[in-house]
Amino acid sequence: MPTAAEESVAVRVVGATKVYGSGDTTVTALEDVTVDFGAGRFTAIMGPSGSGKSTLLHCLAGLDALTSGQVFLGGTDISTLDDTRLTELRRDKIGFVFQAFNLVPTLTALENITLPSLLAGRPTDRAWLDEVVTTVGLGDRLSHRPSELSGGQQQRVAVARALASRPEVIVADEPTGNLDSRAGAEILGFIRAAVDDLGQTVIMVTHDPIAASYSQRVVFLADGRIVDELAKPTTKSVLARLSKLGS
Amino acid sequence: MLRITLASLRGHLRRLLSTSLAVLIGVAFLAGTLVLTDTIERTFNALFADVNAGTDAYVRRVADFRSDFGARPRVETALIATVAAVDGVRTAEGTLQGYTQIVGADGEALGNPGQGAPTFGGNWQRDPALNPFRLVEGRAPRAANEVVIDKRSADLGKLDVGDRTRVLALGPPYDVTVVGIARFGAADSPLGASYALFTDEVAQRLTGEPGRYDAVVAVADESVSEKELQRRISAVTPAGVEVLTGADITAEDQNEVAGFLTFFSAFLLTFAGIALFVSCFIIYNTFSILVAQRTREMALLRALGATQRQVLWSLIAESAVVGLVASVLGLLAGIGVSSLLKGLLAALGIDIPAGGTVVTRSTVVVSLVTGLVVTMVSAYLPARRGARVAPIAALRDLSVEGAAGSRRRVVLGTVLTAIGASLLIAGLAAVSDRPVVLVGIGAAAIFLGVAVLGPVIARPVSRVLGAPLPRIQGVAGTLARENAMRNPRRTAATASALMIGVALVGFITIFASSIKASITDSIDKAFRGDFVADSALFGFGGLSPDFAARLNNIPEVAVATGLRLGFVQVDGADSALLAIDPKTYPQVVDLEVAKGSLAELGTDGVAVSESKAKDEGLAIGDPLRLTFAESGPADFVVRAIYAAGDVTAPADHVVSIAAYALRVPAQFDLQVFINIADGVRVDIARAAIERVLADFPNAELQDQTEFKEAQGAQINQILNLIYALLGLAVIIALLGIANTLSLSVFERTRELGLLRAVGMTRRQVRRTVRGESVIIALLGTALGLAIGLFFGWALVQALREDGLTTFRVPVGQLALVTVIAALAGVVAAVRPARRAARLDVLAAIATE
Repeated sequence: MPTAAEESVAVRVVGATKVYGSGDTTVTALEDVTVDFGAGRFTAIMGPSGSGKSTLLHCLAGLDALTSGQVFLGGTDISTLDDTRLTELRRDKIGFVFQAFNLVPTLTALENITLPSLLAGRPTDRAWLDEVVTTVGLGDRLSHRPSELSGGQQQRVAVARALASRPEVIVADEPTGNLDSRAGAEILGFIRAAVDDLGQTVIMVTHDPIAASYSQRVVFLADGRIVDELAKPTTKSVLARLSKLGS
Repeated sequence: MLRITLASLRGHLRRLLSTSLAVLIGVAFLAGTLVLTDTIERTFNALFADVNAGTDAYVRRVADFRSDFGARPRVETALIATVAAVDGVRTAEGTLQGYTQIVGADGEALGNPGQGAPTFGGNWQRDPALNPFRLVEGRAPRAANEVVIDKRSADLGKLDVGDRTRVLALGPPYDVTVVGIARFGAADSPLGASYALFTDEVAQRLTGEPGRYDAVVAVADESVSEKELQRRISAVTPAGVEVLTGADITAEDQNEVAGFLTFFSAFLLTFAGIALFVSCFIIYNTFSILVAQRTREMALLRALGATQRQVLWSLIAESAVVGLVASVLGLLAGIGVSSLLKGLLAALGIDIPAGGTVVTRSTVVVSLVTGLVVTMVSAYLPARRGARVAPIAALRDLSVEGAAGSRRRVVLGTVLTAIGASLLIAGLAAVSDRPVVLVGIGAAAIFLGVAVLGPVIARPVSRVLGAPLPRIQGVAGTLARENAMRNPRRTAATASALMIGVALVGFITIFASSIKASITDSIDKAFRGDFVADSALFGFGGLSPDFAARLNNIPEVAVATGLRLGFVQVDGADSALLAIDPKTYPQVVDLEVAKGSLAELGTDGVAVSESKAKDEGLAIGDPLRLTFAESGPADFVVRAIYAAGDVTAPADHVVSIAAYALRVPAQFDLQVFINIADGVRVDIARAAIERVLADFPNAELQDQTEFKEAQGAQINQILNLIYALLGLAVIIALLGIANTLSLSVFERTRELGLLRAVGMTRRQVRRTVRGESVIIALLGTALGLAIGLFFGWALVQALREDGLTTFRVPVGQLALVTVIAALAGVVAAVRPARRAARLDVLAAIATE
């Protein structure tokens, strides 16, 4: 039975096709992909290397442009936006967590967290910021530079930055790829908590079944197409689907 | 290893190109100067050999010393007959030249002998073998009021054969008719100097003494050699007369040009040296960054078995190729630069005859070797750092070059700066025989010392300089400041290059201001008159004394008193000498006589400045021998000691005009100081004086304020020339800033990608890069101005005794320098900022 949250769509991808190169050397990374990402939901995108999962993520986050097709974010067709609009969209409506090199080395943890609102010249919402900082447990580390933080702490700062601007969607690209399993579990816990407690929409690309098990829904890609999906995933059920895909 | 070097060169071609540009500009300047001076020298050597070709003997009086303007005692007309009677002499004539200035068709005096080439008058040599001039129009002067002028003057003054005009000389303005126009060898005029050529008798009257010539020139007949002729003439000439062969006089003329060129090329080479010195910083910095960015590459080479030495030599070989390519291009560009410099000279009124460009082997060798050595030496330290990379670094992530200040750095920098400062001060105090060299080395040591200290101060100073940025530009400003602070070594080295140019600009600005302020102060203190007529001719020519005499005859003027400037030797040292009228001069100008009295100068009294009297232990009544180039030694008695120098021509000795006229035939007033009569309105008096001055267009009438301004304007002209030459060093430094920023942008690709990904607009990215550039530029400016201030202060202190009494810091002008530097920072950032903004976000964050 669909809940209210499932009915409301945060990101809608329609007929997305992405072709790299031209002539004989064309590579089709995405082929006519149509998929919805529910608001307030935690969706994982999985697939083998070269399946197009990162391309899909980049395109729906406005980092890359589709060859054809559309991406709607909160009713806006982002494929029609120019660079400035796209930049503003990323700044105001999307939160990013990358695998590595998430932080600006010259800024403190706090400045990194508030970077999007600093860039926009917006005042930061103190109460919300406090809540986010408390959630990710960074209270005493805010004045440190990235080089003074552990990998796990750096990723927590990245998550906090993504949350701080209350984006319509958080896009995470292998957020635990560079972390040990304990730190990874911690980060995924925060992300899940943000979804459950704050109603945050999260889309995450991962190749790790354990990471995927934190999500509420897994979309499987292979050769640029959506080939399967799984609701309420567990490590085991994800592994089972993956091995089926592989064979 | 060579293959690796070449591959690496190919890989970094673009970045190395911008490095080469710094070397290229420096070498081009160097080569341009050498090419120009060689070209001028060869042209003039040929010219003098040509014009003296017909002269076989040159007979003149021995000079007691060589004065700047070649003044010496003259010979009697009778000597011509003596020489002509010598067996083997075909022709003998007198030759004569002195100051005259031709008035053009518009009534203005032609030429600007105060600052450019001199203006001469002389006699027209009748024998073509003796005459360097060739008529291109008209005929030789035959009557008293006929003149032949050089082609350049004819063109400039719009004078044609048959035109009537005037020539300014000794005595009243002389009315003439142009009867001929002549060229000097192949040139319209020699070195841009003007010539008015008269009959012998008129030339004697206008330029010196009736019945006398500068020398007797003779042409031999077929039967005798120059040497033999010299021997025969020497046998019949009186004591105190010397005989030179044609070859001797040619060599002397050529040496004179060579002497001028030595000064001139040393002046230009100084600026070429400064440009190359600045280039060193750019090369050092670029190679440092390249090596840092290639740490993993070096480490990989080391891990695969390359020795430290191999890596070092590979890097040095890379710099050698860059240096060589840049030097070759610089040498080629230098030929273009030489014509630019020639244009600069032409603008100053020095005409260089057309002639083939001379590129000597030594120019090629010097330019290439200098460029190569400068590049390799500058690249050595970075190369050594690269060679010392541990092989394990290949396996680790790129570590950002970080550490700012070690204790060693602080000590080394401080010691270098201190040594530089002491050398500079010692050089200025002239305790050495070669003070200029000492000052130069001292200044370079200070620059190096401060550059070594740079990384230590770069971080805190950048923090302060960048403090307003976050407020103005938000997070873009914060990032700009942080970027400037994150790598203090790089920031400091980049800023150091600019520091040098700014220090010299600041120094010269402060120095010029101090000179102007000192002059203004002394005019305020000493000048009591209403007007001054200033010829601005310091030592050769000036206002005819007729001018002052005529002013004293008009009712609007109470007193007009001339000041004459000459040069004498005192105890073997050249010294400027002023001649005044002891009765009238003190009414208009206060020399602040401390002891004795000017009234007692008479014809054998001399007044000595206080500082000179102190140095030499002179007191009233002491004897003092002054040697005049024109008339030999004369004994004087010290009759007065004065405190103030003259207002614009500080001199240590003052005699009466009566005494001066006894010993020097060319009597010209440098300036005439004027008091108007009581009860006469200033504007009416001025109009009356201007009417008299209309006949003497080689001087300008100024009241006190205008006089001060005119003195300032003369200094500004030199100042602008120096600014233009220093501009080159500043441009090289700006290229350095642009280069560093480009490399930094390249290095920060991923960071910029991240910033763009999380919502930084292109505009904000550009702002960040610009902000960093401005901070670097301001850092360089701040350091430069601090050093410039010190240089200025040290020089003014050293010249205190020589009349530089006021140390003046022109705050407004220095603020302007700062603003320009900040704007230059913005300009330097244009390309790197654009590149940073154009960055492909996806590619940037995807880079592994």
